[in-house]
Amino acid sequence: MLRDIIRKEILDNITSPKFVFTFLLCTILILVSVYTGVTNYGAERKEYTAALALNKKNLESQPNYNSLAGIGVKVNKPPQVLGTVVNGIEEAVGRVAPVNIAADPNLIDSKYSSNPVFAVFGPLDLMFIVKIVLSLFAILFTYDAIVGEKERGTLKLALSNDVPRDRLILGKAIGGYISLLIPLLIPLLLSLLILLIAPNIHLAGQDWLRLLLIFLMFFLYLSVFFSLGLFVSARTSRSSTSFLVLLFAWVVIVMVIPKLAVIVASQARPIPSVHEVTAKKDAFLQQIQQEGQKTAREWIQQQQTEAAKDPKGFQDRLRKYIEDLQQDLTSQIDANNAAIERDYQLKKGAQQTLAVNLSRVSPASALTFGSMTLARTGVDEFDRFLASVRSYKPVYTKWINSKFGESINFQTGEMATISIDDMPQHVLEPERLSRSLLRTLPDFGLMAVMILVFFVGAYASFLRYDVR
Amino acid sequence: MLEAIDLTKRYEDGMIGLDSLTLKVEPGEIFCMFGANGAGKTTTINLFLDFIPPTSGTALIEGIDVHKDPLKAKRHVSFVSENVMLYGNFTAVQNLDYFSRLAGKRSLTKADYGEVLTRVGLQKEAFDRRVKNFSKGMRQKLGIAIALVKDAANILLDEPTSGLDPQSGREFLETLVQMRDRGKSVFMSTHDIFRAKLIADRVGFMRKGRLVMMKTAKELEGADLTDLYIQYMEEEPPVA
Ligand SMILES: Nc1ncnc2c1ncn2[C@@H]1O[C@H](COP(=O)(O)OP(=O)(O)O)[C@@H](O)[C@H]1O
Ligand SMILES: [Mg+2]
Repeated sequence: MLRDIIRKEILDNITSPKFVFTFLLCTILILVSVYTGVTNYGAERKEYTAALALNKKNLESQPNYNSLAGIGVKVNKPPQVLGTVVNGIEEAVGRVAPVNIAADPNLIDSKYSSNPVFAVFGPLDLMFIVKIVLSLFAILFTYDAIVGEKERGTLKLALSNDVPRDRLILGKAIGGYISLLIPLLIPLLLSLLILLIAPNIHLAGQDWLRLLLIFLMFFLYLSVFFSLGLFVSARTSRSSTSFLVLLFAWVVIVMVIPKLAVIVASQARPIPSVHEVTAKKDAFLQQIQQEGQKTAREWIQQQQTEAAKDPKGFQDRLRKYIEDLQQDLTSQIDANNAAIERDYQLKKGAQQTLAVNLSRVSPASALTFGSMTLARTGVDEFDRFLASVRSYKPVYTKWINSKFGESINFQTGEMATISIDDMPQHVLEPERLSRSLLRTLPDFGLMAVMILVFFVGAYASFLRYDVR
Repeated sequence: MLEAIDLTKRYEDGMIGLDSLTLKVEPGEIFCMFGANGAGKTTTINLFLDFIPPTSGTALIEGIDVHKDPLKAKRHVSFVSENVMLYGNFTAVQNLDYFSRLAGKRSLTKADYGEVLTRVGLQKEAFDRRVKNFSKGMRQKLGIAIALVKDAANILLDEPTSGLDPQSGREFLETLVQMRDRGKSVFMSTHDIFRAKLIADRVGFMRKGRLVMMKTAKELEGADLTDLYIQYMEEEPPVA
């Protein structure tokens, strides 16, 4: 009997006009999104390798360490391959972090800054389609699951037989879910195929696992709306009411809660603006530089008599002194910047965490953050990258300062030609899967709990549902 | 056999739906319950199907208490509802197939379905058409076919003739007579006393939830139906 109910439910769904419409729209949207994701990634990958080569050439062509220090180095953020399905904040954050002696490194030159109109629309990635479009489809497939059968009189007719109610709702849930999966699975499998055969996409073993987890999260997310739809349809006596209630719930879950969470968090945990932070850093930089110049002048004045006696020895001592002083100043600046930055990051982190956690009561936010974490295109990944660049900066400064000191011949004023072979390289240790998974556990957990609650709610409501 | 013992339904809002109905419909009998809108006919049928719980009293199908063991009781009853839309995306045969399976009849062939659908007077062309384009009468016929296929010992019909044209109405009554002759207990609610009289073995008159009068076919023979109609549809019931 359960099989008959499931079969009927699937047949009823796939012969309906909404199914054809859903199937077509799903296929088009999913394929277009994955296709654009793949081409975008290809282009960015190309740009990235080109930028790396250009940077290297640029560095090598510098005549001396002085000008090398002047231009600094550029650290490029590599595009994430899973950004093809979950774009995250890839487009919004910068792709390049210039590192030099003076300034504190930051990511600049984002895609949105060069083409701000994109920011208005956001990326059409698979995650967006699942979050907005497919969740609506899940509602479309369930809003009249129970109440619609009541209105058609088929519920009474079915229950005039010795059909247990729990069997009926179970059959409807399973059948309904399968019919929702059909229009999803086919384009999703096709898009996996695209990822598999696209020439510029190379998914490592771990990426496949991540992709699988992302897809799992998509299905959990849709199941939340599916079970919510079932629940509401078993609690209303008119399908129009059910649809309105669900639409309202959808707006609140997908649109309102995430935005509200950000507003609440920024009120509850205010942070200094970026301008304030930069001004503070600049003020200290100027002060230190002035002081440095003064000390250097004083030192040279003190040494004047000695210099006259032994110019060669003075030359060596001057070189040593300048090198030490430079190193000292730089580390003072670094320390101060780091302190300011730490404070700022701490506050920003607290605000971010609050906003994220508040919004996570909405499965839409859980999906957003969870899938971004799994795809490594989220805020944390960006923070990690920036932190790695910032910890690379002192390593680089130390190297360039030492080179700088060594290379100047103070007698002739000549400078040695450069070699960047021993220049320390920036490295970013990618986040381990176990760590990403750990961070997404709350998201998976939340969705699972919601599905359970809604389904049990639907089940219990249906056992007492007024079929008339 | 259908039996109601002191069956009473008071709705949550205090409205009395059925007031102490005691009634027996024997095998091989057609009982027509006659009453205006809101008299309590549908309430009676809903109680027999356990769609609503009784306030007091008992409804029995084949001696099984409907409220205590609804699943077992429902095995022995077919139901034709007042206004069933059925599955619009399905054809007549697909609808019939699904509900026969729910009724536990899984070995029926397409020919069997065709036979039943012909019996209730559905045109052959309509068998494989989607029900969403059916008229009310065509859907009603399909609903009757669904009840026939179940072939239970008891049949509950809620105003089944309301959507039928005269020709179909006559055919339908013939089908009911056939069922009675095969020993079924038939309970039909209607406000069409003129048609009901043609086939009923007994007629009950109901108003405001109470069965106020019962007549056998014999007693009805000489009676002026128009008189009865006016008396029981429009006047206050005689004070008991
Ligand atoms: N769910 C309900 N809640 C309250 N009153 C109801 C409900 N259903 C029916 N009634 C009332 O019970 C009475 C009998 O209704 P019903 O059995 O549907 O009449 P009939 O089928 O004879 O037209 C009517 O007065 C109706 O208003
Ligand atoms: Mg009625």
